[in-house]
Amino acid sequence: MLALASDASSLRAAQPLATGRSWPLTGAADGSAVWGECRGSAAAPYRTVVDLSGPAYRCSCPSRKFPCKHALALMLLWSDGAVGTDGDPPDWVASWITGRGGLGGKTSPQDRGVPGGRPPGPTPRAEQRAARVATGLTELDRWLCDQVRQGLAASQRSSYRHWDDIAARMVDAQAPGLAERLRALAAVRYSGAGWEDRLLEEYALLRLLATACRDQAALPPPLRDTVRSRVGFTVRQADVLASATPVRDHWQVLARRDLDQDRIQTRRVWLRGQRTGRPALVLSFAATGQSLDDSLIVGTETEADLAFYPAAVPLRALVAARYDTVPGGPPSGATIAGLLAGYAAALGQDPWLDTWPAVLAATPARDPVPGLYDQAGEAVPLHPGAGACWPLFALSGGHPLTVAGEWTPRGLWPLTAWDQDGAVVPL
Amino acid sequence: MSTWQDLVTASLIGTERAVVPPADTTGLLPAVDETGDPAAVLLDRAALLTAARRAGRRPGHAEPLPACEPDPRPMVSPAAVARLARILSREPSSLLIEWLSAVTARGLRLPPQFLPALLDRARRPREWLLPNLIAEAGGPRASWLAGLNPDWDFVLAATRTGDEAWRLGTAGQRRAYLTALRARDPSAARELIAGSWAAAGPQERGLFVNALADGLSLADEPLLEAALEDGTDWVGTMAAGVLATLPGSAFSRRMTGRAVRCVRIEHGARGTRLVITPPQVAGQTRLVLDVVARTLLRTWTDEFGLTAAQIVALPAGDWAPALFIGWSRAAVAQRDHDWMAALIHHVLTGRLSGRPAEIEALRELVRAADPALSAPDALPPLQPDAPPVIGSALNVLRFRYEMLKELDDDHSG
Repeated sequence: MLALASDASSLRAAQPLATGRSWPLTGAADGSAVWGECRGSAAAPYRTVVDLSGPAYRCSCPSRKFPCKHALALMLLWSDGAVGTDGDPPDWVASWITGRGGLGGKTSPQDRGVPGGRPPGPTPRAEQRAARVATGLTELDRWLCDQVRQGLAASQRSSYRHWDDIAARMVDAQAPGLAERLRALAAVRYSGAGWEDRLLEEYALLRLLATACRDQAALPPPLRDTVRSRVGFTVRQADVLASATPVRDHWQVLARRDLDQDRIQTRRVWLRGQRTGRPALVLSFAATGQSLDDSLIVGTETEADLAFYPAAVPLRALVAARYDTVPGGPPSGATIAGLLAGYAAALGQDPWLDTWPAVLAATPARDPVPGLYDQAGEAVPLHPGAGACWPLFALSGGHPLTVAGEWTPRGLWPLTAWDQDGAVVPL
Repeated sequence: MSTWQDLVTASLIGTERAVVPPADTTGLLPAVDETGDPAAVLLDRAALLTAARRAGRRPGHAEPLPACEPDPRPMVSPAAVARLARILSREPSSLLIEWLSAVTARGLRLPPQFLPALLDRARRPREWLLPNLIAEAGGPRASWLAGLNPDWDFVLAATRTGDEAWRLGTAGQRRAYLTALRARDPSAARELIAGSWAAAGPQERGLFVNALADGLSLADEPLLEAALEDGTDWVGTMAAGVLATLPGSAFSRRMTGRAVRCVRIEHGARGTRLVITPPQVAGQTRLVLDVVARTLLRTWTDEFGLTAAQIVALPAGDWAPALFIGWSRAAVAQRDHDWMAALIHHVLTGRLSGRPAEIEALRELVRAADPALSAPDALPPLQPDAPPVIGSALNVLRFRYEMLKELDDDHSG
């Protein structure tokens, strides 16, 4: 159900609202609709209705996110069984539902928009946000230059607040993508030898992002989309589905990685098209303790239409339609040179790209650092954060394997391996 | 790349004090603005170099590892692999030991990706049996891994016959060596223990007592009698437990004598029942329980001329729980499958009061009893009003039954 959230930040915003205290009034009609009134910052409560058959949402709040945090919070409450099913829907619920063709009525994707629709072109809200982000970018640029002016050596002794404060200002400036990158920087100085290099890299790439976003009008549209999404502008799922030409292929499910941050779990599933050879990344989100989307199983192959988010290097995609799923064999593994060349080409399109899908035919080694080498004798290190990776070594026994994972500037984070018999093993 | 290092050095000192080093980015476009704020210029050059360094990364080299020799045994089935994952994450070691023993006995191979977790598990204190079992079940792949990680060197000790593992080895290696020696040559192991006892710490004395429990004979009695007086309580308790299972030992004769004075059978007008005469000291229940737990179960069948099932079914009034717990512990320690089956039957016919200690005893029973009891129709059905804890305890027996059946299928298929 939480897969309906368009991104992690709206789910994060919904979490604190998913308590009975925020909802003086709630109700549900036998599994077909849920409604409620949520206490917000405004004097009048927000009125939220979710038609579960669509699902379709309506909320009187001004948010343009879809579903908004109120609708998500209401669904969280409902899925926890905290919404009673007795009582008739109030008039405002009944009128909306009647307008949509009654309870449990069929919903087409076009229905999911706000009733009445919205004229094309930037809305006053969008302009307001653009102005806020612009102010935030200027502030971030000044902050970054200040760091370099005073010297990064001082950062080693800084507290987490040093980064949290500027991250919080980016949240205020409605640039959550920047805030997330900044928050992650607090840990860089503990990342072992070379932390200075990594901190400078990140600061430099952040300034590049800020500069690029400020001058976005001059960028080619795909790069502009990349910049905007990295800054934190989200694209509605409905817009992706409506505008992208779906790519039909037999998608091999290569690898899966779950991350847990700020009470939100993010699941990254890496796919590769058999026919097109295209890599794809499907994200899903859930609150900690809730279960994540399990529909894409590592080692299988799913025929599906994927709709890619617009970007200079389109990776993130939505599953628009699914057909058959069959057990798959091992994917074909690249050489180390092939991996590095592919990453270099992608970096040429998106200089911020620091997570790139890798499938290698290679053998694990321990010296001089834990890594993987291929038939040509060329090697890449494993990511130090991935730990000792003993299961990978145990599976190999000194023999070649097919390994899928995430390539990063620090090394490869192995996630899946196929043994000599071709059996899949999530690591 | 010296240019990058120069930039890092300048950024660490800060452009207030350091000069921005000139860019030497051959083949790259210069940063757009070279005239503005030095800090901004430094960051722009760093951005350019970051992308260039990432994109231009060269492969490194690696030292190949020796290849592991092949293991000809067939791999366990995917269902068994899934079960192993569950056992490793949620179940006690007894179940793991049973699973590994069954895998080894059927000549099957372990999924290698689980070996690291298994080897780590075997390193835990008081895991007496796991190290050698994993060394054997893990085969050449486990030895290969042990060669890469010194934490797992006990695997090599288990397969080595020389005594340097004992003289020079780590605690894990010594444990593995002794267990393997006891299996091969019980009296040699006994002599080794006798010679090492005085210098050993409590953990190792515990290992000694445990090692003696396998291949136990009357020749081990003097060592175990001495261990009864051990300064560490749990070592003494372990020794008592082992001695109690040794027919003909002085300890078991003492226990038998106390037991038959304590528990008698009475054929009265209202039927046959058990009458308990507790020793005249404080903590009577505890004492009755301990005496029964440490008495050879054969004592009762011989003394009363009844089968285990008949004895367990005799009314014993308020003493029934103490007897049930005592017999359960004795049956588990003595690995007496008749008694274990009789006690589980007894539970199913609904005569358990449901006290926590009884449930605990039942949990021990279902982990040790013959899993064939879970075969269809081997046991009476669970009473519909039985407490849920009894049902979940019996699920353990079913789990073990299915686990072994699964491995049999692997073996025959």
